[in-house]
Amino acid sequence: MIKVQNVSKRYRNVNALSEVSLEIPQGSIYGLIGPNGAGKTTLLRILAALISPTTGQVWLNGEEVSQSPTAIHRRVGYMPDFFGVYPDLTSIEYLEFYAGIQGIPRKKRARIITDLLELVDLSSKRDALVETLSRGMKQRLCLARALVHDPDILLLDEPASGLDPRARVELRELLRTLQGMGKTVIISSHILLELAEMCTDIAIIQGGRLVTAGDVDKVTRSLDGARQLEIRVMDRCAEAVEMLKGISGISNVMSGVNGESNLIQTDFTGDDEALHRLLVQLITSDIPIVSFAPRSSGGRLEEVFMSITEGIQVLQGDNPS
Amino acid sequence: MTFLALLTKELRLRMRRERTVWVIIAYILLMGLLGWFFISSFNNGYGYNTYNLSSVGTQLYTLLAEIQLFLILFITPAFTATAVNGERERQTYDLLLCSRLSSFSLVSGKLVAGLANALLLIAASAPLFSLVFFFGGVSPTQVLTALLVFVVTTFMVGTFGLFCSTVFKRPSISTAVAYMCGLLWLTMPLVIYFILLVSNSLRFGPGQPLLFIWNPIVALISTYSPGTIGLVTIGKVHMISWVAYSVLCAIATVVFFLLSMLTAKPHPINRLRMRLIRKKADAEQKVTVTA
Repeated sequence: MIKVQNVSKRYRNVNALSEVSLEIPQGSIYGLIGPNGAGKTTLLRILAALISPTTGQVWLNGEEVSQSPTAIHRRVGYMPDFFGVYPDLTSIEYLEFYAGIQGIPRKKRARIITDLLELVDLSSKRDALVETLSRGMKQRLCLARALVHDPDILLLDEPASGLDPRARVELRELLRTLQGMGKTVIISSHILLELAEMCTDIAIIQGGRLVTAGDVDKVTRSLDGARQLEIRVMDRCAEAVEMLKGISGISNVMSGVNGESNLIQTDFTGDDEALHRLLVQLITSDIPIVSFAPRSSGGRLEEVFMSITEGIQVLQGDNPS
Repeated sequence: MTFLALLTKELRLRMRRERTVWVIIAYILLMGLLGWFFISSFNNGYGYNTYNLSSVGTQLYTLLAEIQLFLILFITPAFTATAVNGERERQTYDLLLCSRLSSFSLVSGKLVAGLANALLLIAASAPLFSLVFFFGGVSPTQVLTALLVFVVTTFMVGTFGLFCSTVFKRPSISTAVAYMCGLLWLTMPLVIYFILLVSNSLRFGPGQPLLFIWNPIVALISTYSPGTIGLVTIGKVHMISWVAYSVLCAIATVVFFLLSMLTAKPHPINRLRMRLIRKKADAEQKVTVTA
């Protein structure tokens, strides 16, 4: 468990972070969302014990970060928003160097590096110079570097920026694998859709302040108050729309969305039980439903995020990220 | 172990750069050509017989040794003055901080790698110096003491360069400061000496003035001209110039090394500073609550 309590960071006259408090569950993929200058990188650097907060405290499994940075560095793998590579080294030499400065015994290094290169799918590039690798490969190599000492916690700052769609999917799969290995992954990004698909929990930061934090669906609902449903019917679309309009908790019913005549989109306010009752009601009315699903939280999250950060962009320029 | 990992990486990176090879070639060529022109100037078409061969050897050695000293002063800062802030510029500094690399390992790894390049140049020039023995006039002891002066100068200048790289964030600034300080270190005693000479404030006693006690040129000259210039007097103690110089350089190297350790990884200082800021913030909060 990572606990951030009332953390503020001040750079001369600029507040990068103000009174941020978070609790990050162990084994989660935690997304930090915010526009440029929101304070995401500052928070990650504080978690990595690279900088100390001006006020407040951060605990990693009961250990205060600013009091024992060396101990924290053993447990944290940090990947900044830049590559940080030595172009004249080969992939294997690059990892060997970081394994060395993490104090891994020479005998164990070869096996660890082989496993890591396999994990990030770079085994075929083990003897290639880092400068010859593509952007996605460099990103994966940096991730392998962050994992070289087998940390419990991974701090990834904008890991998907600048990657092509394929590399992003690969990265997402990789992060899921790491979560499966029991690691806590804290990731910052602008790409909200991907974060929503990848993360179990999120925190939205705006102008150095925490807007909201928690489970992805919960955050979306708490900010929006409603979730969006997509109902696909075989026919009798108009009848279904009329019926939905009469049900409490349903609003903004639209049919023929995206040019699909049988697709209905609607906002729904209520808990999972109410959602279940709605489905039962539709089925008992004998409406031929093909699919019934809440719209992906990523798209919703993006809308929610855009709405809450609208008009505050001017303030962001002052804050270093 | 972390020191060895850093040193291996540094040596790999440095030795793979084309620049390293070109620097060695240029260094040897420069020294070799100057030496060759010098010997040629003695050749009157009938061989060297009309001259005293040992005198040619001594003068050749003097020339090579002084060129070597200037090249060391000129090249060594380039190897170390960008060592730590170069990592900042390459955006790899945070990754070093996020490891088990101690301040000592970081500074010593960077220093040894930087000095290895400079010492490689000294070693590469050894065959040129051996030419002197064909002519005679120079003893192996003189060559060895000059070598000691070269090595302590390299260590001192290198460590100072490294210190600059930990203090200044931009490599261009740290390099400029290292060169400027090196130039002042070399020339200031001479400038002060002339000012004192002109204003008649200089007292001439036995041996060289204390002003030159930490001057590499004087120390180098003292290795092959033991006489008035070869002695330095501190109170009642008489010391050979190059010995006094070497001791001072060793002390300065240790001081700059320790300072580099303090400034390379700012955690201890930063933690102390942050603790003070927090105390102040807490005190301010208490005052507000009481009010």
